[in-house]
Amino acid sequence: MDELVKNLMAELNCDTAFTIPIFGGIPVAESVFVTWLIMAVVILLCAIFVRNLKVTNPGKGQLLLETAVSGIYSFFEDILGEKGKRFIPYLMSVGIYIGIANLIGILGFKPPTKDINVTASLAILSIILIELSGVLAKGGRGWLKSFAEPMVVILPINILEIFIRPLSLCMRLFGNVLGSFVIMELLKMVVPAILPAVFSCYFDIFDGLIQAYVFVFLTALFIKEAID
Amino acid sequence: MSATLFVAIGAGIAVLTGIGAGVGIGKATSSAVDAIARQPEAESKISKALLLGCALAEATAIYGFVIALLIILFLK
Repeated sequence: MDELVKNLMAELNCDTAFTIPIFGGIPVAESVFVTWLIMAVVILLCAIFVRNLKVTNPGKGQLLLETAVSGIYSFFEDILGEKGKRFIPYLMSVGIYIGIANLIGILGFKPPTKDINVTASLAILSIILIELSGVLAKGGRGWLKSFAEPMVVILPINILEIFIRPLSLCMRLFGNVLGSFVIMELLKMVVPAILPAVFSCYFDIFDGLIQAYVFVFLTALFIKEAID
Repeated sequence: MSATLFVAIGAGIAVLTGIGAGVGIGKATSSAVDAIARQPEAESKISKALLLGCALAEATAIYGFVIALLIILFLK
C-alpha cells in the first residue's frame, strides 16, 4: 500500500525531463516534453497530408482528409453559428491536441493532461477566448452590460462564472485523466495479465476521447453564449 | 482516535458524490431511451445530447474522487 501511495505521489508531481543549458538552466517538465513530441508529429502529418492537393480527380487520401475536416468544421459551425466561425480553427486544434494527449498513455508516455498545469493553462486559454469573443462581438461597454443580463440579480453569479467555468473545465479533464490512471495502476497491481487491456479500452481510449470532446464542446457553447 | 481513521472517513465521505452522478445519469439515460423509442429517426441528436449530459454529470463524481485522493495523499 505504501509503495502505491509513493508511486501515486511521484506520478502526481511533474518531474523535469531535462534542463535547457541557457540562462542558468531552465528546467523542462516531462509534460512539456511530451507536448513538444505531439506538436512535432502533428505538424509533420499536416505537412505530409497537404502535398499535392487537386481540385479535380482528388486522391483517396485527400477525400478522407476533406471528409474528416469538414465534418468537424460543420459540427462546430452548428454550435457557433455565423458570427463564431473565426474561433473554429482554434477549437479544432485544441480538440485534436487533447484527444492525442489523452491517448498517448497507450504508447507508454505519461499523458501531458495528467499534469494539472497543462489542464489549468488550457482552461485559462479557454476563458480568455470566451471573454475576448464577448468583447469583440459586443464592444467593451456591451460586454460589461451583458453581465447584468437577463436580470440584475444574476450579476454576482455572472461574475463568479468567470472563475468557476475554467475551474470546472480544468478539474473535469484533470480528474478524468488522473482517475483512469489510478484505476489502471490498481488493476495492474491486482491482475497483471489480460484484464488491464480490456479495461484500458474503456478508461484510456473512450474516456479520453469523450473528455476532449466535452472540453471543446463546452468552450464552443460558452463562446456562443458570449457572442449572442 | 488516530489521524488515519479520520483521514479514511473523510476520504470515504468525499467519494459519496458518486451517488448524485449515478442517479442523474440513470434518469437521463432513461429519458433518452424513452425518446428514442418514441421517435427512432432522432436517434443521433438524442445520442449526442445524452453523451454530453453524461459527461457533465460524471464531472461532479470526478470532483469528489479528486478531493478524496487529495485528502489521502496530503493529510498524513
